[in-house]
Amino acid sequence: MAIQLLNGIVYGGLLYLLAVGLVLIFGLREVVNFAHGALFMLGSYIGFTLAAAGHWWLGLLVSVVAMAAVGCLLDVLVFRSLRKHDHIVTVLITFGLLLILETVVTVTWGKAYLSYPVPKLLDGTVTIAGSPFPIYRLFIIVVSLLVAGGLAAWLRYTRMGLYVRAASTNAHVTSIQGIDVDRLSLVVVGLGTALAGLSGVVAGPLLTLSPTMGNYILIDSFIVVVIGGLGSFAGAFFAALLIGQIHNLGAIYLPWAATMLPFLLMIGILIWRPTGFAGSRT
Amino acid sequence: MTLLSFHDVHALYGQARILNGVSFEIAAGERVALVGRNGVGKTTVVNTLCGVTRIERGHVEIRGEEVRDLRRYTAAKNGISVVLQGRGIIGNLTVEENLLLGTATRRRGPWTLESIKALFPILEERKASPGLALSGGQQQMLAIGRALMANPDLLILDEPSEGLAPVIVDELADLLVRLGDQGMGILLIEQSVGLIRRVAERFYVLSKGAVAASGSLAEIQAEDFHKHITI
Repeated sequence: MAIQLLNGIVYGGLLYLLAVGLVLIFGLREVVNFAHGALFMLGSYIGFTLAAAGHWWLGLLVSVVAMAAVGCLLDVLVFRSLRKHDHIVTVLITFGLLLILETVVTVTWGKAYLSYPVPKLLDGTVTIAGSPFPIYRLFIIVVSLLVAGGLAAWLRYTRMGLYVRAASTNAHVTSIQGIDVDRLSLVVVGLGTALAGLSGVVAGPLLTLSPTMGNYILIDSFIVVVIGGLGSFAGAFFAALLIGQIHNLGAIYLPWAATMLPFLLMIGILIWRPTGFAGSRT
Repeated sequence: MTLLSFHDVHALYGQARILNGVSFEIAAGERVALVGRNGVGKTTVVNTLCGVTRIERGHVEIRGEEVRDLRRYTAAKNGISVVLQGRGIIGNLTVEENLLLGTATRRRGPWTLESIKALFPILEERKASPGLALSGGQQQMLAIGRALMANPDLLILDEPSEGLAPVIVDELADLLVRLGDQGMGILLIEQSVGLIRRVAERFYVLSKGAVAASGSLAEIQAEDFHKHITI
């Protein structure tokens, strides 16, 4: 049981890394980024290319930096101009981006399924509650906790974090105080997509690489964002852990209903509390 | 020295023209009121300064220099703080965090967290409360405190008396006069006759998106004045 709970935390951690990027981007830009799963996938492929050549850690670094750069470009070229449009337009455009990125990856790396290696440093198992547990999975838990803690500290204790929280609630009032919200968004969107790159690489050894690998986890990430509350970082953290457990325990104890459970939970929570656990927007 | 001036500004909301050639100016230490009935374009003046409304013709000068690309943050970065209509308190931030937001421009001056809390002791008592948990009057103190934290040369207040009890409006008037006496320019956009009479030395009366009359209270015909504002 302890191992199953840990596996739930591992999946929850991955979901958090992806969902928190969605929260960051939605908070500042009010863009529901359907391309986020494709950025996760692209980050995974970039990391894979270097990892397959024996440079796993360099692949992690390059993927994070490359995805941050892609995010900054997206913010300047796409998200900034989407502010004036309806949400449906942003959904259509980001969905189009998803298709473009999937095509780019298919043309570059092909459609074949690829296996991502585990770094030598993290290969092997440890014994937990009498059962072997992969060290790499513990690494994912540690990375997720470090990102959650780092992000919480950044938002709570730094000047920029204060501006991000303010702009996520009311960008107009925040900018009237003399804050260039566009510049702030550049950093925040870049951070959000960098986290997509990070999660893509970190998740790589657990998944099989394919151009559509981001789609399934993106849906779970959207469920996390909705359950946690749109724009809520803490809500996303707890919702990710919850969905991680439901996903994992559901697959063991209710396999016939496992794929439905996150959706049923989301529907139930939206009926009970339309803003999610900790959100203020519907 | 003229801090802010509008020169024949025509401004649009989408395709609708709201300002039809507004001209006014305010110098350091002056207390000026922009008055007029609902819908004449008072708030549009603020929105134009903040780049929300598009200028079709005319221009805005800050300290005598034309500013072509007005953005929401331009005024604050140039030493002009705006207290928005409705106060603009950020609900998910605490009282103290709302105040700290005012330091974004990093302008130095007499106003610090300590001096603001000394001016409005209730903000010290409620510093950890969410900004929106305050009463209307306390929220107005918070909005003004946040604007002062930027150590502005010019403070613009859009309908600050809205929803406030008369005793709080009196306190607000005293504060604005005091700030003006200390050398801060005050631009009051207001309909409350009581407040503008007590604070402003000079008036611009807006009607149909343009200045219909201007001058001191003695210079403006009483008939003109009362025709264009709500008593």
